[in-house]
Amino acid sequence: MAELSDKAREEFFSEAQEIIETLSRNLLSLDQSIKAGSTDPSLINEAFRAVHTLKGLAGLFGAVRLGALSHRLEDVLDDLRLGRIELAQEVLDVLFGAVEAYTRILQAEKSDSDEELDVDQLFGELERIGASATPQDSPVAGYELDPGLLAVLTEYEEHRLRANIDLQMRLYRLRVQFDLSTIDKVLEEMKERAKRHGEIITYLPTGEATSADTIELDLLMASRDDLATLVGSLGGDNLVIEEIPRRARRSAAAGAGAGTMPPRSPTALGRPDSVGMVPAGERGGLEQTASLRSLTQTVRVDIRKLDHLMNIVGELAIVRSAFGRVAEKLRGEGQRKLAAELQRLHRNFDRRLGEMQDGILEVRMVPLGQVFDRLARVVRQISREVGKEIRLVITGAETEIDKLIVEELSDPLMHMIRNAIDHGIEAGQRRVEVGKPLAGTIALNAFQKGNHVMIEVEDDGRGIDLQGLMDKAISLGKLTRSEAQEMSRDETLALIFLPGLSTRESADDVSGRGVGMDIVKTNISKLGGVIDVHSEAGIGTKMTITLPITLAIVSALLIQAGKHTLAIPLSSVSEAIAFEEAGVRFVDGREVITLRGQTLPLCRLDRLMGLETAGGSASRRRFVVVAALGQRRLGLVVDFLFGQEDIVIKPLGKSLGAVRGFAGATELGDQRVGLVLDAAGLIEEVLAGVDAPRSLERASG
Amino acid sequence: MVNLRQSTASRLARRVGDRGPVREFLMFSLTGELYGVELTRIKEILSPPPITLVPRAPRDVIGVCSVRGLLVTVLDLRRRLSLEERPLTRRARILLGEAESGEVIGLLVDEVRHVVRLASHEIEPAATALGGDVSAFVLGIGRPAGEFLILLDLLSIVSG
Repeated sequence: MAELSDKAREEFFSEAQEIIETLSRNLLSLDQSIKAGSTDPSLINEAFRAVHTLKGLAGLFGAVRLGALSHRLEDVLDDLRLGRIELAQEVLDVLFGAVEAYTRILQAEKSDSDEELDVDQLFGELERIGASATPQDSPVAGYELDPGLLAVLTEYEEHRLRANIDLQMRLYRLRVQFDLSTIDKVLEEMKERAKRHGEIITYLPTGEATSADTIELDLLMASRDDLATLVGSLGGDNLVIEEIPRRARRSAAAGAGAGTMPPRSPTALGRPDSVGMVPAGERGGLEQTASLRSLTQTVRVDIRKLDHLMNIVGELAIVRSAFGRVAEKLRGEGQRKLAAELQRLHRNFDRRLGEMQDGILEVRMVPLGQVFDRLARVVRQISREVGKEIRLVITGAETEIDKLIVEELSDPLMHMIRNAIDHGIEAGQRRVEVGKPLAGTIALNAFQKGNHVMIEVEDDGRGIDLQGLMDKAISLGKLTRSEAQEMSRDETLALIFLPGLSTRESADDVSGRGVGMDIVKTNISKLGGVIDVHSEAGIGTKMTITLPITLAIVSALLIQAGKHTLAIPLSSVSEAIAFEEAGVRFVDGREVITLRGQTLPLCRLDRLMGLETAGGSASRRRFVVVAALGQRRLGLVVDFLFGQEDIVIKPLGKSLGAVRGFAGATELGDQRVGLVLDAAGLIEEVLAGVDAPRSLERASG
Repeated sequence: MVNLRQSTASRLARRVGDRGPVREFLMFSLTGELYGVELTRIKEILSPPPITLVPRAPRDVIGVCSVRGLLVTVLDLRRRLSLEERPLTRRARILLGEAESGEVIGLLVDEVRHVVRLASHEIEPAATALGGDVSAFVLGIGRPAGEFLILLDLLSIVSG
C-alpha cells in the first residue's frame, strides 16, 4: 500500500470497513428477499454502488488487492442488476465469499502484510458467473412508449422497464411540477410514496415549466395498481397521471416472446416533449452529488478521543464541586449576595455539564445492529456448511449500547450462535419427525431494561441434555455422583459454564474450536455483564445476556464499609434496606436473611475485604444493599449510605490487575479517590458455592 | 513540587566540565539510610495527596491516589525493600516513575534531599560492593562527599 499518513490510513480503513458492512447487509437482505420469492432491485443497485465506491477508494489509496476484487465483483453485480445473470443462491454464496475475502484483504492491508491471500478460487467463480451472463430482450415495444424516451434510458433503467413489463405491470406517465428549491426533497418523498405501488423507472425534465422557479418532470412509473388508486394516493395539484396504453398487438408481442419486435410508432401517445431533455450522463452526475452530500454529514472519531473528553468532563465535575464549596464559604462569611450569584452560576454550570456529559455518551452509543449484521452472515454461512436450514429472526437491532461493548460482544455472541446451530437445532429430518418446522429458528432479541441492555439468543432446538451434562461433569471429575443428585435444575444448567464441558462427544468443525461457554461467560463478565441460561428439553434453549449500557460514566451508590467510602454502580443495585442483625439465619454455613419471602444471601463487605471495621457497638444502624444481576441477588452489609452520584470509573493500574472485587476507582472530589465495587465479580465470588456445589468451586478455582 | 531541573541547572553551571560521563541522582532518605535514583527516571515529586487503601492488594502497595485526574498506584518503598516501618512525617514525598508497562507508579519516601552528580568511577557496582547476591533493585553504591548512598534502579522497582 502506498505511503500515507496514519490518519489518512485510519480513515481509509474505517470507510472501507463501513462500505463492506453495507454490502454485507445488502446481500443479507437479498438473501431474505430471494427466500421470500422476490428481489428488490434497489438492493442489487446499492450493492453495486458500494462495490463501485470501494473500487474508487482502493484506487485512491493504492490498495491493489482490494481494487482487483472490487473490479471483478463490480462486473458481476452490474450483470445482476441488468438482469443478465439470474440471482440464485449459488451466486449469493460467491458474493458472500467476496465479503469474507474483503475482510481478509483489509486485515492484511492493515497489518501491512504482503502475505499471499488465496483469492484465485473466488476470482474463478466470479468469472464463471460473469461468463454465464446472457443478453436479454423483452417486449418493451408492446407499449406506446416514446422512442425519444427509450433512447435516453440507461441500460439499468431499460432493464428495470423490461423486468416490470415481464411482471405484467402497467406503465404510467406522471407529469409533475416541482419547485426548484425543494425538488430534491419532494422527489425523494414522491419516490418513497410511489414505492408502495410500484417503481419509478426514470424521470426526465419536459422543458415546459410554468415559471422560472419550477421544473416539470415526466416520471415513468410501473405499477400493479390501476389509475384511480394511483391518483388517489399520489395525486395533487401539480401532478397529472396518465396510463401508457399497450399496443393493439400486445397479445402477439407477449405471446410470441422476445423475438418479435413490432415497429415503434413515431406518433406514440403519451409522448413527452423531448425538448430540454438532459443526457443520461448528466443525470448520473446529479445523483452522485446527492450521495456525496449525505456522506459529509458524519464524522468518524476515535473512541479514545471521546474517552479523553469524558475525562475532562469528570475533571470539570470536580471543579463544579469546588464552586459549590466556595459559594458555601462565602455565605458563611456573610457575603450573601456574592454567594447567591455564585450559587446561580454553579447551578447553570451543573446543568450544562450534565448536557455535555449526555452528549458525549450519546456519541459513544451505537446500535447493536452493527454486530447483529455480522452474526447474520455467520448464521447463513454455518447453516449452509452444516446443511441445516436456519431462520434468523432479529428484533431490537436499533437498541443502542456503548461502542466499546459492541466490539467485545461479537465473539461471545458468535460462539453462542454457533452452539445453537450445531448443538441446539436438530437435523432437518429429525425436526420433521418431532413435528417441528423443517427450518430451525434462532431469535436474536435485544431490548433496553432500565440501565441495562438485554440480549437473548434463543433457539427452538432440542434443548440442553441435562443428564448428559451431568455425566460429562462427573467423568471430568468436576462433580461426584451424590452431589449431582442433589443439584437443582438451574444448578445443573450452570454446568455448561465450566471449562471443558460440551454435551457432544466429538469436537466438530463448527463449535469445537476450543472456545467454550466458560470463555463466553468470562468475556461477558469483563464487560460487567452476566449470562443466564434456560432450557427445555425438546423445546429449545434461551441464553440471556445482561449488560450495562455504557462503561464510561455510571450512576453509583456511595456507601461506607469499615472506614472505606466505596461506590457500587447503581445499575447493579436493586434496593437498599435497613439491616437487622436479629433476622440473620445460617444456611449451609452461610448468612442469609429473608426479604419479602425470598432468601437473600448476605456478604459482610468489611469481612470479605478484610477492611478495618468502623468500630462502635453492634446495635448501630447498618444497611443491606441488594446487588442484583440477572437472576442472582446478593445482600451487601454496609455501614452507611451516602447517596447517589454520577462517577467516571477509571481502571486500576496493571500492577493491581490481580485484585478481585473492584471495577476501578473514581474521584470523589476533595482530591479523594474511592474504589468502585465490581458487583458482578462479587456476586460471582460469593455465590459461587450457591449456584453450583462446593466441589465445583474447587474444581474451577 | 520542587523544581528540580532548574536548581540542578544552576548547580551544574557552577561545576561545568570536571570529570568524564556524569549521572545525576536524586538523593532521598528512608528509615535513616540515604538512597539515590537516577533523576531522568523521575517524572515528578509530590507532597502525598490523600491515598485510598486498596484491600486485597499486594502488601507493598499502599493504595491509589489521583494526580490531576490520573489514577496512580502508590508503593511503599520501605516494604518493597523489606525495611523497618516508621510513621510518616510531613517531609514525606511521593516520587512518580513510569513502569515498563507505561503505568505511572508512585513511591513513598521519607524525605527528599537534593541532587548529586556522580561520575562513573564514583559508583561502585553492587556485586563488587555487596557480594554476588544483591537485590535486583540495587544499581550500586555511591560515595559523594563522604556520604554512603544506595543507588536504586527505579525502573525495576516500579515494574516488579
